[in-house]
Amino acid sequence: MHAVDWWLLLSALLFCIGAYGVLARRNVILVIMCLELMLNAVNLALVALSNFLPGAQGRGSLFALFVITIAAAEVTVGLGIVISNYRNRRSVQADDYDEMKG
Amino acid sequence: MPGGDFHPVFFVIVAAWILVAGIGVVAFRNIVHSAVSMIFCFLGVAFAFALLNSELLAIIQILIYVGAISVVIIFAIMLTQQQTGGFKLFFNRQSIWALAASLAVAVLLTIFVVSSKVLPKGTTAHNPNVHSLSSLLFNRYVFPFELISLVLLAAMVGAIVLARKEDDR
Repeated sequence: MHAVDWWLLLSALLFCIGAYGVLARRNVILVIMCLELMLNAVNLALVALSNFLPGAQGRGSLFALFVITIAAAEVTVGLGIVISNYRNRRSVQADDYDEMKG
Repeated sequence: MPGGDFHPVFFVIVAAWILVAGIGVVAFRNIVHSAVSMIFCFLGVAFAFALLNSELLAIIQILIYVGAISVVIIFAIMLTQQQTGGFKLFFNRQSIWALAASLAVAVLLTIFVVSSKVLPKGTTAHNPNVHSLSSLLFNRYVFPFELISLVLLAAMVGAIVLARKEDDR
């Protein structure tokens, strides 16, 4: 196995841990935290490929930089929505956010 | 460090660190414990970036994730949380299906990575240093850079508008 394979495996496992958290947990803040874990896993894969792929010339690291910025934007908006929802429903459990149930 | 290098001992330490902290995030019942575990996971990813010759991203990871995003998440926890659960693990009705789905994805990704030769053996490269990365960022990719600053500004304004009280308007 090439060295990049080990890093890609680590990234895949971290991604699956985050996906498990998003699927299994009901607390909305914890779901956002697990989304951050998944974004970190993707960044890890990008940086690893950028380090081992000839011709990448650091573009993977650059893209990871953009992903980090988008993650920061996403977490601010997500937590703003969570806090305004908490003000209305007094809950951060996803099961209680059921106004839009058809 | 020489180009395209791989330190098995450092890799095993960092991988174990990241995976244990990541499992801690999803398994603790008390969300504050999960948040602390998440901070350790972000630190582990920063170490991984440093091992991958990307010093700039390691520093940015510590500044943004460990410094900023963790603080925002802990603020949100403090603003919303009343429950203080004990130090125990968390499972519910969805856990078994979520575990099955994520394990299936993990096995598929592992088979994909192991079977497909992503890179031929012996190919090597090197993440560029900060100087060439920044010249790439401010010449070739300056438009996405400006665009993303606009996105971040819009997101911050949107978050403030979303989170403030209705009667302040």
